[in-house]
Amino acid sequence: MSDNIKLHLDIKEFELPNGMKVIMSKRSELPIMSMNMTFYVGSKDEEENKTGIAHLLEHLMFEGSPNTGKGEFDEILNNNGGDSNAYTSWDMTGYYLVLPSTKLELGLWLDSDRLTGFGISEESFKVQQSVVLEEKLQTQDNVPYGSLEEESSGRLFKTSGYRWPVIGFKDNIENLKLSDAEDFFNRFYKPNNAVLSIVGDIDYSETEKLVTKYYGGIERGEKIPRKKFTDGYLIKENSSTIISDVQLPGKFMFYLIPKIGSREYYEMQILNKIFTAGESSKLYNEMVYNSQMANEAESMIYGMEHISIFFVNLIARKGVKVEELEMKFDDILERIKNGNISDEEIQKAKNKLETGYFAKFSSSVFLSEKLSEYKTLFGNYESLINEINMYESINRNDIINISNKYLNKNQRVNLSYLPKE
Amino acid sequence: MSVDYANLDRSKPPVVMKSKDVKFPAYFEDKLHNGIKVFVIEDDKLPLISVKFVIKTGTYDDLAFGEDSSGLASLTSDLLVKGTDKMNAVEVAETIDFHGASISGGCEYDATYLSLTSLKKYFTGLFDIVSDLLMNPAFLDEEVEREKQQIANSLLSCLDEGSFLAERGFKKNVYENSPYKLNIEGKISSVNIFQRKNIKEFFDKFYLPGNLIIAIVGDIKSSDAISLIKSKFDGWKKKSVYDRTIYKKDSLTKTKVFAIEKKGAVQSEVLLGHLGVDRKNPDYFPVVAMNTLLGGYFTSRINKNLREINGYTYGARSYFNFRKHSGDFCVETSVENSLTYNAIKEIISELDKIKNEYVTVEELESVKNYLTGSYPLQLETPNAIANKIINLELYGIEKDFYDTFISKINAVTLEDIRNVSEKYLHPGNLVISIAGKVEIIKETMEQIAQVDVLNNIEEL
Repeated sequence: MSDNIKLHLDIKEFELPNGMKVIMSKRSELPIMSMNMTFYVGSKDEEENKTGIAHLLEHLMFEGSPNTGKGEFDEILNNNGGDSNAYTSWDMTGYYLVLPSTKLELGLWLDSDRLTGFGISEESFKVQQSVVLEEKLQTQDNVPYGSLEEESSGRLFKTSGYRWPVIGFKDNIENLKLSDAEDFFNRFYKPNNAVLSIVGDIDYSETEKLVTKYYGGIERGEKIPRKKFTDGYLIKENSSTIISDVQLPGKFMFYLIPKIGSREYYEMQILNKIFTAGESSKLYNEMVYNSQMANEAESMIYGMEHISIFFVNLIARKGVKVEELEMKFDDILERIKNGNISDEEIQKAKNKLETGYFAKFSSSVFLSEKLSEYKTLFGNYESLINEINMYESINRNDIINISNKYLNKNQRVNLSYLPKE
Repeated sequence: MSVDYANLDRSKPPVVMKSKDVKFPAYFEDKLHNGIKVFVIEDDKLPLISVKFVIKTGTYDDLAFGEDSSGLASLTSDLLVKGTDKMNAVEVAETIDFHGASISGGCEYDATYLSLTSLKKYFTGLFDIVSDLLMNPAFLDEEVEREKQQIANSLLSCLDEGSFLAERGFKKNVYENSPYKLNIEGKISSVNIFQRKNIKEFFDKFYLPGNLIIAIVGDIKSSDAISLIKSKFDGWKKKSVYDRTIYKKDSLTKTKVFAIEKKGAVQSEVLLGHLGVDRKNPDYFPVVAMNTLLGGYFTSRINKNLREINGYTYGARSYFNFRKHSGDFCVETSVENSLTYNAIKEIISELDKIKNEYVTVEELESVKNYLTGSYPLQLETPNAIANKIINLELYGIEKDFYDTFISKINAVTLEDIRNVSEKYLHPGNLVISIAGKVEIIKETMEQIAQVDVLNNIEEL
């Protein structure tokens, strides 16, 4: 498939003496630019009684820095036609901002000031603590099946920091202190733990000069000790039933699969497409279309640094039992494991991946995020561009093998959500 | 490179240049003899091509078939991808998926969509299939029944979502007569009675060449795109376009509070507002600027008040839904049950304030800088550009709309903001719709107005 893939990507990178890695990509169709600053720290790096601090700190980073007061970051940005946002995952925390390209220096000033010191007041801390508690209510507690992450994490993982939800436990969030945020900041928010990507209508030498001006004087941090990853694959099925305020019963399966970027991870990506891409996919075709047992049937992969999650989401039609969904799903999976899968299906999955691959390059915000993410996880951005070639050599046997290796009943968390009677 | 870090003055923002001007990208347009409007945007950055078919019909036309036809436009659009006489639904899905492409159909209040995104190398063949889906859908009984079941179950699960419940309570009470009161997917009882003949009737009445816009964007030459469209659509016979029913004007007299029980709610979902303006309203630009200042961006008054000062919510925003024949204005937020009244009181005070006092020069300047500065970001992908061009045609907006966007925003004055907030905001006549714990809502909200509890929300 690679013969047809042409990408007009222009990329340059450099590293500052303090260890901060910088990737620049020039595209000059529009006078805009996107910056993404990613720190190699996520919820898995938290202490078990201080879960939620990584995400709360992400909120706080917009609340003030040594030279900007509370609220000024977004005010200055908005006032210059810019916008910002951020995300926290298990492994990383990413900040982006967009601005007209003539205002690159303003973006660098705003972002770099956050690294020169901790500038958050007690008042801002309290406000953001309650904003985060409301975020948890809005995005999880008040949403049907919204407790899935919390219910599954502790069952999938026993010792690592993947065993709590990224947003943290309510009790922990309520008890966090400003000093916890400052400690976390001081440990992880260092230039040698960061990747900055800048995509847009930029000049490479001018950008390198300005990045050096604003970040070059920030001191390198100590080498950060990383906890050894101690969780392994499940050996016994962990099932549970949750009675909840939902109209339709749901069945949710979680399997642990190899870490992001490994060959087996890409094999799983192909298998995932076979399960879930389009209305001809196994799950939709057999569970929604033909048998009409499910109202939703899809799967997805959460790619993570040490071990990833393959997630199957099945929502029943009214009157259908979760046991029936489970049997049907197991039957579909069993047929794949027994080799009942064609080369055409593999090719179809590869074609879906090829179309999806290009989507990563369509917007500058998304591209800058992906460049930072890949550099952080793999130490190079080239894997973002080359990963499409990983799929080429994967064949039918690989898919059969991988399904037999990782998708067995004793290797999963199996959750049922039932309506209250 | 030597840099004097010690002398770097971080205390003030660096002085930066004004943003560069941006021109709306060039595009090609044409009209076929049968009335089909065609747009092409060439963009060879990625080897992808998309086509978007937009039909000028939608939920607004549900009521042409009576009060119980809520959801008919949506059901019809969902069924487009379910096969033609030549190819059944499974064959369509199989062919599209095998080529790594995707298709989707659906509708909104004023428009119906069918779209395809594919790798350049497969586009022509797939365009053929999708064109047939649009002109000759089979609407087999079996597929109709299947889709009805799917929708009925989805409508059931919507009852678990506070945002759905609050929206139903809001729309139903803001619009009394106009079809904009309807739920796009319909209601369980109405969807249940539709049959193939209803769908066919809707299709025959509204899916006409004179109602169709085709936009092709991506790695294709405009001349090739036009020939491709002509080869499929030139033969689609022109029929006269119906007269659209215009419904009695909606009005509002005093603030009303509606409460909807959401089982197990830990938050209240709040939607409050009233009628707004249609898309062609001459005050469009001042209205956009005023709303941005009030609740349209992160540093807006409402978000700053509720999130950044009070910590009541993860976010709060306001917006005008500009529709073809009418529109609404609403403020939206989610807050923990016990904060419902406080949050609503703050929102109303922000509405009162902007209606009664001039905004500051700095606030207006910031809004203008934001809207004009972030404008180029909306032109980044060919699909986003296509949607903008389609909207010109869909709503009958002047051709120079996007070219003059920046200058028209910059022309908005303090007086304009004052006028439109005076004219279009009515904090004394609000529909306040809250999904959450009815008991708590009643206890506190009676201070504002009598609370009507809405039951059987799935039938609204």
